[in-house]
Amino acid sequence: MSRSNNSSSAKDFLSDVEKRSHQNLLECLQCGKCSGGCPVASEQVPGPRQLVAEVLAGLKQKALSNPLVWHCVCCGTCLIRCPVQISIYRVSSALCEIAHEEKMAPSVPDINLFEVLFLKSVENYGRLKELRTIAEYNLRSGHFLKDVDKGIRLMLKGAISPVEIVKGWEKDKRVSSIFEKARKIG
Amino acid sequence: MKVGYYPGCSLLGTAKPYDTSTRYVCQAIGLELEESPDWTCCGASPALKMNNLLSVSLAARNLALIEKTDVTDVVAPCPFCSRRLKNANEELDVDPELKKKVLEVTGLQIAGKLSVHNLFAFIRSHIGLEAIRSRVRMPLKNVQVIPYYGCYVAEPGGASDESDPKNPTSLDEIMRALGATVLDWDFKTECCGAALALTKTEKVLELSGRIIREAEWRGADLIVVVCPLCQANLDTRQGDINSRQKTRHEIPVVYFTQLIGLAMGLSPSKLELNHHMIDPLPVLRKKGFLA
Repeated sequence: MSRSNNSSSAKDFLSDVEKRSHQNLLECLQCGKCSGGCPVASEQVPGPRQLVAEVLAGLKQKALSNPLVWHCVCCGTCLIRCPVQISIYRVSSALCEIAHEEKMAPSVPDINLFEVLFLKSVENYGRLKELRTIAEYNLRSGHFLKDVDKGIRLMLKGAISPVEIVKGWEKDKRVSSIFEKARKIG
Repeated sequence: MKVGYYPGCSLLGTAKPYDTSTRYVCQAIGLELEESPDWTCCGASPALKMNNLLSVSLAARNLALIEKTDVTDVVAPCPFCSRRLKNANEELDVDPELKKKVLEVTGLQIAGKLSVHNLFAFIRSHIGLEAIRSRVRMPLKNVQVIPYYGCYVAEPGGASDESDPKNPTSLDEIMRALGATVLDWDFKTECCGAALALTKTEKVLELSGRIIREAEWRGADLIVVVCPLCQANLDTRQGDINSRQKTRHEIPVVYFTQLIGLAMGLSPSKLELNHHMIDPLPVLRKKGFLA
């Protein structure tokens, strides 16, 4: 695959991704050691090597809709294995950020939905309310009874409390202003 | 010795035993924890993927408030919290433009004078094995433990104080100081599937399933962890892993602080060892450890 099609939009995209991720992608050797170790790569999810190739070739739409960017759990295995120390999870994160900014529909909507609900909880309450976020995800994604058996068993052991889901709806201003300003300044 | 303590959201919820046991154990080993004033979420991976400025600002708010106290070091038990706080601290240090924006967003000044650590690595490096060993009342004799660090510890220059992030050893050393038999294995920093547990559950069953299978094959009585996500995935999904793989694994997954507390003579219920899905008490009893 050629390094770049040399068009200015391809170069702009590459430099935008490099700037956001603080990674020098031109150093990529395309050796594939990242893909060999990536825990989320599968028949449906291409490994990090292909994602970097798409960015290098300026294939913006392809890179932004690559399911890897949503599946990536930021584990850092790609970075550990990379002979030139590229942190590809930072590249994935940067691509998610661009997709958000350009209001692209996420290519893996359920993962995105969970992350949106996670951040909504943090924006509203300052801290993540885990159980409420899980309950909301199940409701919104239509998996009403998912993991309810586990929840009940943990409740019986006294490990989690249903009160956490229903109590405490007052909004917390500590971080909502951070969300507001960060969105504005970007 | 006094340090800042950033518990993180999970330790108030599903990982409460981690918080409880951390507080007991740190008190016992002479590590005074000053809880971060008015702390809020570090942003974790969702903020990182949504908006980098938001992500750094969420971490920076906590760093700025901790800086106002009199500590120079801050510990976080959760490896992702400590990685985010540490990375944000470093990014602000090298990027004045970002720092200016973060000041605008948070209204808070960051001097960058804090040193951020993973709790387990800090205990190993700053409290030391001798201090742990000297407080052991009930050595974990005959208990075979597998130390599982998880992936978030392993990032180079990232979350841990380990000299070799690819092959961390602090947890092994702490467990040996407690008298446990530490088993060697190949999965100590492999990923468990982390936050995909709700959305891509099959993937988590596959990744966590490999870890459980390997731990069983090595003969582990217990898997000891430092990460709330690892604990939740390996413990609460082990039943589903068994259904999927047609296996009958039943390996308890406990926090390292719970085992330190146990060896120091604290009661299992105080350490909330009875809060896990797979009860660790039967195996400990079988090993003659609990009366």
